[in-house]
Amino acid sequence: MTPPDSKDSLAPALADWRVAPPRNPQFRSAVWARLEGARGTPTWSSYVRGHATLVAGALALAVVLGAVTGREQARARVEAARGQLAASYVEGLDARNMRMP
Amino acid sequence: MKNLLLTLLVAIVACAAAFGVFYVLNDEPAMRRAAREGDAMAWLRAEFRLNDTQFAAIKKLHDDYGVVCGEHCAAIVGARKRSAPAAEIAALEKTCVDAMTAHFRRVAALMPPGEGARYLATVLPRVAGYEHTGAPNVRVTP
Repeated sequence: MTPPDSKDSLAPALADWRVAPPRNPQFRSAVWARLEGARGTPTWSSYVRGHATLVAGALALAVVLGAVTGREQARARVEAARGQLAASYVEGLDARNMRMP
Repeated sequence: MKNLLLTLLVAIVACAAAFGVFYVLNDEPAMRRAAREGDAMAWLRAEFRLNDTQFAAIKKLHDDYGVVCGEHCAAIVGARKRSAPAAEIAALEKTCVDAMTAHFRRVAALMPPGEGARYLATVLPRVAGYEHTGAPNVRVTP
């Protein structure tokens, strides 16, 4: 037979009970790695999820590299064309160093 | 290994796409077309944002100056052929430079505010120090 006051003493103890597990930042990727390890060769999407930081960094680097290179190359070509046209424009109006055809 | 290669491939595609987008955004097709076609007047129009009226007025100035430039050319060539004194040739060349500078200033005056100063800053430093052959014109060979 249960003593009548045992339920009363358990309730506050349960109410005060808090579980505070330590935070593990690698938990998600570790779970994916274990899942994929058990499954065999991972799919690319799960590979990306498992290496999210690395893949995102590589993509960001690739986009920045492409953007900077594209911008510089376009500007260099435009500048070359601009310089060529400006020089030729002035030459076309300068009678010095000109030979009659 | 396959996934790593696939990731590299995706990165390369992203790099190429970014390259293409930023190349197009920073390109000036009118400028490169003008250079390809050797059309300095098209360059002038695009570079200094000339409207139709300004462009027509500047084109007329250029056409008129072409006659003056031809006369200067003939005088300089004639003086060189007859081995004229260096002082005479220098005087003729100075006349040419002065006329050319005055022409550039007249052209600049017809341009939109701000563009005229930029035009002069572009053309005046290029007045000396190059080879030139043929009749005066504003078409160039790429």
